Amino acid sequence: MSGKGNKAFTKEEELLLQDFSRNVSTKSSALFYGNAFIVSAIPIWLFWRVHALEVGTSLAWFALVTSASTWLLALAYRNTKFQLKHRVAVRREDAVAREMSRKLADDKKMSRKEKDERILWKKNEVADYEATTYSIFYNNALFLTIVILSSFYLLRTFTPTVNYIVSLTAASGLLALLSTGTK
Amino acid sequence: MAVKYIFALIAAILVTGTVGESCQNPQVEASSFTSLDATVVTQIAYITEFTLKCDNAVPENYVLYAEVDGKPLSAARIGESKYQVSWAEEPAKARSGVHEVRILDEEGWASLRRARRNDPAATIAPLLVIQLHHPGSYSGPWVNSEVLATAISVLVAYVALRNKSKILA
Repeated sequence: MSGKGNKAFTKEEELLLQDFSRNVSTKSSALFYGNAFIVSAIPIWLFWRVHALEVGTSLAWFALVTSASTWLLALAYRNTKFQLKHRVAVRREDAVAREMSRKLADDKKMSRKEKDERILWKKNEVADYEATTYSIFYNNALFLTIVILSSFYLLRTFTPTVNYIVSLTAASGLLALLSTGTK
Repeated sequence: MAVKYIFALIAAILVTGTVGESCQNPQVEASSFTSLDATVVTQIAYITEFTLKCDNAVPENYVLYAEVDGKPLSAARIGESKYQVSWAEEPAKARSGVHEVRILDEEGWASLRRARRNDPAATIAPLLVIQLHHPGSYSGPWVNSEVLATAISVLVAYVALRNKSKILA
């Protein structure tokens, strides 16, 4: 497809590269960080209202733990998304190709190559979207479960401040660690 | 002869004594209170207040006793022929429904205790019975909110894990 002398990647190759890279778009990144921040901040309510954590004196801890947990969760989102994306792409391949072919069938002017490119692009988009949303759901579910379990059962006897710090950092750290695994 | 008179006198004194002391045809107006929220208390309180009306005049310090489910209590005099009986129970033991407060006067109380000495299950017809209805107290929801939260979050996490392994399979 690309000439041997041509060092620049073709559109298709760029898409392929994008498909296999760990990098995420700015939009996706904003989604990850926004979500991670919200989910990391939610336990503040739990510890404030349920575990009777003094808010005024813990503001510094709140800021520190929330930002650390946001960063770790965003990392977990990104890694999980990367893991999932290929599998989702494989699973959706046929359906997307069929749908796009049907859509583009009427267009006689479009070359075969462009049609393939469009299908590839669509496939990438679908896989990206599904992997992103599932990754967010998956990590949020696990994060909140670990926070609830550790704060109510494992660390019940500790002071609320220790409980808060350990619960959140352990939950987000564990998810970030697990997401770096190959499977 | 003299002995006969003395017997008659004693009998008369006894009769007048009982008639004069005990309440004839007692009528009662009672109101009651029981603790309904067991989440914030350690004991369930039962209180009943009643006004006693008798056909005859009863002495100023007419003493009343009460018995509830075999438990002896004394009725506190809180006003002009007004009495209060109160007791407390552990929330676990406090049964809902009607509790019968059996009110006895001093004489009835004494005969009850005498009868109890021989037969612990003995009963004496009380002066009056007050029905105290306890509708049952609220001791918190069946399932703790944290248990519910844990169960739901574990379920959601399980679904998430299962689906992820399905996608990656």
